[in-house]
Amino acid sequence: MLERVIETYNEAVFDTDRDRALEIIRDAIAAGITPEEIIFKVVVPGIETMMKAIAEDFDANLAQHFMTAQIAAQVTDEMLPLFSAPPEIIGRVVLGTARYDLHSLGKRIVSGCLRSLMIEVVDLGVNVAPVRFVDEAVARGAEVIGISAMMMHTADGPEGCRCVRRILKERDLERSIRIVVGGAPFRYDPELWQAVGADGWASDGITAGRVITNLIREVRS
Amino acid sequence: MTTDHDATMSNVTGIDRLRAAATGAPCDRIPVFCNLFDQGAREMGIPPRQYFSSGAAVAEAQLRMRAKYGYDNVWSLFYVGKEAELLGCRDILYTDDGPPNVADFVIKEPRDIDALRVPDDIESHPAFQSSLECLRVLRAEAGGKYPICAYLTAATTLPALLMGMDKWMELLLLGPVELRDRLLVKCSDFFRKQIAAYRAAGADTLVYSTAFTSTDFVPLSFVRNVALPWMARDLEPGGVEGVVYYCGMSRIIGALSLVLERWKFPAVYLGPMDDITQAKRVVDGRAITCAPINDIPLVHMSEDEVRQEVRRMIRAGMPGGRFAFGTAAMPLTIPERIIRVLIETACECGRWEIFV
Repeated sequence: MLERVIETYNEAVFDTDRDRALEIIRDAIAAGITPEEIIFKVVVPGIETMMKAIAEDFDANLAQHFMTAQIAAQVTDEMLPLFSAPPEIIGRVVLGTARYDLHSLGKRIVSGCLRSLMIEVVDLGVNVAPVRFVDEAVARGAEVIGISAMMMHTADGPEGCRCVRRILKERDLERSIRIVVGGAPFRYDPELWQAVGADGWASDGITAGRVITNLIREVRS
Repeated sequence: MTTDHDATMSNVTGIDRLRAAATGAPCDRIPVFCNLFDQGAREMGIPPRQYFSSGAAVAEAQLRMRAKYGYDNVWSLFYVGKEAELLGCRDILYTDDGPPNVADFVIKEPRDIDALRVPDDIESHPAFQSSLECLRVLRAEAGGKYPICAYLTAATTLPALLMGMDKWMELLLLGPVELRDRLLVKCSDFFRKQIAAYRAAGADTLVYSTAFTSTDFVPLSFVRNVALPWMARDLEPGGVEGVVYYCGMSRIIGALSLVLERWKFPAVYLGPMDDITQAKRVVDGRAITCAPINDIPLVHMSEDEVRQEVRRMIRAGMPGGRFAFGTAAMPLTIPERIIRVLIETACECGRWEIFV
């Protein structure tokens, strides 16, 4: 039964068919599969399958990334209140777009995936000042700061990642907080993430889940 | 006072080169297109907000930069968010180091879609006056000599400027379909009026930007079933004369064959990540193929690296002719010396005698 749910759920996600995916999940719950099994044996492996496919050069499009995150986040929101005990959170991330950047799609995709991976997300919104990224990460005990930038001047500019890096250094926080960046300029220039002082980057919102999970493990180890 | 970079070398103009590329006739070299937008304020020595408020300043900067670097076109585009201003956006975020951006979305909730009003007469709209002023100067100074480019956002892409890309993706992919289609009708009506206004004002190279026909954005089935019918509605009244098919910076290749079976675009503008050889094979001489360099890394590339990349691209695109070289985003932080090397190398490598 569970194998069939996994297979049909993954098909629906790849087809960007949210209604079918949700129907499969609801039918599974009605058939006795637990909310914990839905998250950890269906939804999370589904995201991991998509990550693996992307890593192996599967030409996933933006709609598939968006819908994977949307579906995963919605199922997670529906399942978490039904858990027999609160799930263990594996880490915390503060997310936002760089100063002067108002593009929120990438952040939304990342956020949806991370929540399903049991990573707590603090969404700071758009046009976030560098110092706020750091202040909020410290206040929330976040291991990772995620900065999304869709334009070259916000990705590479003085009030983006470079400034966040400088503040972390000044406050001696570099060992406890990592920076991950994402957005179009980093895809078009794969060396840019290092130039701006990030600890990692992700080419898309789904892959960001894996990168951020690894950075959290690094900080916690 | 400006000096024309290539006037001393030849009397051949950008229009001559474009016409030759369209017909396959011999010419001195391939057309070289370049888009320098944010650089205009620096060129004029004035702050971005002041610069973008003046159509005459934008036109003057376009003319100066074309003459300085020697490429083949001028642009009437100020910044992409300008279209949102014509549809009611009142808040643009200006910065000193990048393009102005829409800071306040016109559509915040579903009822705003029904309230959205497409101007009856774009030409008399206050937000279009600076564009008209720009086009008046460009037409007087460059008309008939250099292609005057305009940038027009397709109905399926325009909502991203009106409500933000994430909200638009949600409505586009998840519906309600009736609401989505009411918005698309308005955006398509706006497109039809805007392209007519630009044509009337003298723009002759109309770049049709349609990211949602790229399979980087949506599956091919979605392109076929949703995006192309709206594209047909956009283009139906005026046709595709002077229209350049463009998918933003996304790859064009996925649906290119479908598009060219249906429309006789005079030119297609690839994405910087498209494979030039593969795209030319699909185009198969039906249009000019313009290949833009991936210009984001130009910020830190050396002159030699730029030369090598331009040579590689032109070697890939030249066979069979009907080819043009172009740029994509051209961030403000690309050094002037790199822009010079870029354009000079494209002009040099794109000489006719090399590829015949």
